[in-house]
Amino acid sequence: MTNEEIRRKLNGVFQQVFDAPELEVGDATTAEDVPGWDSLAHVNLVVAVEKAFSVRFTTKEVKGLANVGDMIRLIERRAK
Amino acid sequence: MSFLSLSFVLFTVVTLAVFQLSPPRLRPLVLLLASLAFYASHSPVYALLLLGVTLLVHRAARALERRETERAKLRLVALVVTALVVMLAGFKLASALAASPAGSPGEGEGVALRVLVPLGLSYYLFKLIGYLLDVYWEKMPAERSIVALALYASFFPQIVSGPIERAGDFREQLGRLDKLDPASVAAGLRRILFGLFKKIAIADRLAGLVDAVHAQPSAYSSLELLAGAYLFALQLYADFSGVTDIAIGLGQLFGLKGPENFDLPFFTRNLQEYWRRWHMSLTSWLADYLFTPLRMALRDLGQLGLALAILINMVAIGVWHGAAWTYAAFGLLHGVFMVASVLTLKRRDAFFQGRPALSRLRAVTAPLASFHLVVLALVVFRASSLSRAAEYLARFAAGSRGGIAATRFSFRLLHMTPGAMLGILVLAALMEFGNWAMRESGWSRGFLAAPRAYRWALYCGIILVTLGVGHLGEQTFIYAQF
Repeated sequence: MTNEEIRRKLNGVFQQVFDAPELEVGDATTAEDVPGWDSLAHVNLVVAVEKAFSVRFTTKEVKGLANVGDMIRLIERRAK
Repeated sequence: MSFLSLSFVLFTVVTLAVFQLSPPRLRPLVLLLASLAFYASHSPVYALLLLGVTLLVHRAARALERRETERAKLRLVALVVTALVVMLAGFKLASALAASPAGSPGEGEGVALRVLVPLGLSYYLFKLIGYLLDVYWEKMPAERSIVALALYASFFPQIVSGPIERAGDFREQLGRLDKLDPASVAAGLRRILFGLFKKIAIADRLAGLVDAVHAQPSAYSSLELLAGAYLFALQLYADFSGVTDIAIGLGQLFGLKGPENFDLPFFTRNLQEYWRRWHMSLTSWLADYLFTPLRMALRDLGQLGLALAILINMVAIGVWHGAAWTYAAFGLLHGVFMVASVLTLKRRDAFFQGRPALSRLRAVTAPLASFHLVVLALVVFRASSLSRAAEYLARFAAGSRGGIAATRFSFRLLHMTPGAMLGILVLAALMEFGNWAMRESGWSRGFLAAPRAYRWALYCGIILVTLGVGHLGEQTFIYAQF
């Protein structure tokens, strides 16, 4: 899967989880930028990402994510 | 040494003078020595315990970085965190058993409770556990300096009642002690004044009324019990946000500003929002270090896993206050409310989407409903035992009974005069306006740009009201016992 494909698919996951069809996320996007992205929604997002990309993250990996860019790099590493 | 004592004022002035005169390099050490002296004034033995625990965590974090495999790291961090949690639970349980079977705070047995539990134990252990997990999750490197870590754990403004600052935020500010801003000292003094006003002019004046209705609920009418429940919410808010203001203000004197704990918590649309705005430094800590790992571990269970993680998290918030059934029940109640709210929120939002008239109604009723659920749970929180809480609620629900009309309102029985009650409510409204204005940068800037005479008139007014209506003495803060 190319970086571009990951981005497109991930954006779709975000739109679905946050119920926001217009939402566009980039590398620098953080929880502060997305309405509703709180600690409750965070794990829902992680679960949705895991499902979409058929990967499994550890708590430590999830805790290390500072923004969407980190998440893309993590998916790239794990989807190989 | 209470924050409200003359000896504490003296201690702060001396510490600030020595701090200002010291070269920046030595300032953390000055603050550490002052913090240890402050702690030792409560208990020298427990000061050694605090130092010992800090040393252990310092070494564990450094060792964590040297471990090569993930397994070895996990084993070490699990071992140390478990030991710290067992220590916290052990002290809280022992104190509850020693004090009384119910382990009730705030009454006669409270003295034994305070003697037994080390001051600020729940605050400094949470700080150190959070630090260790941050190092394990590689959110920050291990602290090299034992002085910096010991100061983080023992920092005297935050040791009594929090707020629970994060290690990374503290360290960042610690690195800037050479550039002290005089404006920060002024802001700190303003904040301390506001906190004293909340505590002395509002919280303490409600204590008598709240104590009375909780001591013997059956002697009061439904309306009086309702007032007691509302006013305890106000007392706790004024008390706890007051001590938080003092803690943040004291920190600002030294260029180390702690995190906020409150963000107008009673004006929220739902309970999720309430818990993001009440005791924020604790709830955000639990969200990061307990809820998220739990939720991750239980994620294969779907909605059930979510409900379990929420329930455990909320009960943890409850028993963090102490090993008493009332605190567990308080947490459980909030857990049930929260699960119900979280699991139905999407459906409720969808229902209201196409109904503008009902949506407008909801905008009014939802905050009111949330507030009343909070007040209900606080009755259980404040009660000296579960049976007393049940008595309170049953008496409230019973209405007119035993010759007491449901709507009787006796100021005399509530240890209050109508004038005093009105005065407190006016001051509470001003307090909440102040809380609101503080978070609006336009208002804060406008205030600071106002002529000095106006500002000083306000400060003098607050001081006069606080001294005029409050009783000065060695009062303690409600959250100092947790």
